[in-house]
Amino acid sequence: MECVSVPSIDCSEFCRRLQGQVSGRRIPLTGSIEVTARCNLRCAHCYINLPAADTKARQEEMSCRDLCRFVDQIVDEGCLWLLLTGGEPFIRDDFLDIYTHSRKKGLLITLFTNGTLLTRRIAEHLAEWPPFKVEITFYGCTEQTYERVAGLPGSFKRCMQGIELLLALKLPVKLKTMVTTLNQHEVEEMGAYAEGLGLEFRFDPLLNARLNGDRTPTQFRISPQEVLALDCADKRRMQEWQEFHDRFMAPPLQPDYLYQCGAGLNTFHIDPYGAMSACMMSRTPSYDLRHGTFQQGWHEFMPDVRTQRWTRDSPCKRCDLISLCEQCPGWAQIEKGDQESRVEYLCEIAHLRANTFGKRASKEKKGVE
Amino acid sequence: MTRTTSLQTRYHKESRIVSRKIAGECILVPISSKGGDLDSIYTLNEVGAFIWELIDGEKRLAQIKEIIVDEFEVGPERAEKDLEEFVLQLEQVGAVRSV
Repeated sequence: MECVSVPSIDCSEFCRRLQGQVSGRRIPLTGSIEVTARCNLRCAHCYINLPAADTKARQEEMSCRDLCRFVDQIVDEGCLWLLLTGGEPFIRDDFLDIYTHSRKKGLLITLFTNGTLLTRRIAEHLAEWPPFKVEITFYGCTEQTYERVAGLPGSFKRCMQGIELLLALKLPVKLKTMVTTLNQHEVEEMGAYAEGLGLEFRFDPLLNARLNGDRTPTQFRISPQEVLALDCADKRRMQEWQEFHDRFMAPPLQPDYLYQCGAGLNTFHIDPYGAMSACMMSRTPSYDLRHGTFQQGWHEFMPDVRTQRWTRDSPCKRCDLISLCEQCPGWAQIEKGDQESRVEYLCEIAHLRANTFGKRASKEKKGVE
Repeated sequence: MTRTTSLQTRYHKESRIVSRKIAGECILVPISSKGGDLDSIYTLNEVGAFIWELIDGEKRLAQIKEIIVDEFEVGPERAEKDLEEFVLQLEQVGAVRSV
């Protein structure tokens, strides 16, 4: 008989181990649920922020009961990491019920929130049923910049109060921002602010169009050259890109297939209205959970999504830069209206990155020789 | 103080920790702040998972030991020692409590 013991393992380490174990097997280890598309903020660049008082959107949202039923089903299929997001999840009065149900089922929950609706009562509840991580998006280090992005007077102060409430209870907070033309000048300051609080910080400059194809958010994109400058401004980020480039730069492994990532293989996404898709970006095709179960969607619908093939020739199909590029069926669908079209903005960024990190790699190689 | 147990003890599972079986791995996930270290999860091997299933607040350790001896290639002494150490570890991480 082998020895019995209760070894503990860090959650992130376990994640890596488990991902190695399930490699090639279709188990929905990680997923995301948008509990609402509504938000109290009016961020100019956001792709999912219907007005808080949007009655139609509210009426069409899945009920707490439906959501808890789906949570039970995804747990049965082996999900361990679940992202609960919105819109702004705390805009729902019943969000803590959904959250607590998910936690009690043994899910490790990451919460995405803007932090402005957090109260002491919510913070205390989260402290009792701690999440794996709370990621707060903030938009600037000054009231002026923050509210220029968020579009709501008083929101800066409320966000800062929200951060303080969670930190006072030692909850695992991480800060992040979307870099836009409105706040790009404060990215460094935001990083320093997070560091001062002892918190992890990340930023993302890649803005996508709204889910209905409205391109308004793209007006706030920083240029591809500015994206690259941000990559190189931070030593750690630059190193991460370099390592990523050196490790993964190669032509697509299965060029005939549209999906080159793990979407739908070990991940899933559910929108506020019960539509399940391969990931948060890739919304079509989708499976209607209101007329079926997660199991049916995962086993009968998702494999067909994964095995979609290119229907026409595309420069992306055999592109060597595919691993450096954010291009995917989801981005293309949202921005261009079909899954196969090239997104020029992403393409330009990928080429800039390849040029920069490729040159650095070959210089290092020459140095070694 | 060193914890001890006896074969007459019965244990029940704490609701603060949830067991999950994912990709063949049996794990214990702390879910509330009273459930020990929340940055970690606990992994159980085949024997540990087998014992975990037997802990129900009804069976005494002596009964669980007998089942282990029947199921695995192990003598009663070794089974008793391993079982006691195992439940004490479970107790320490807040997964079980003696009845």
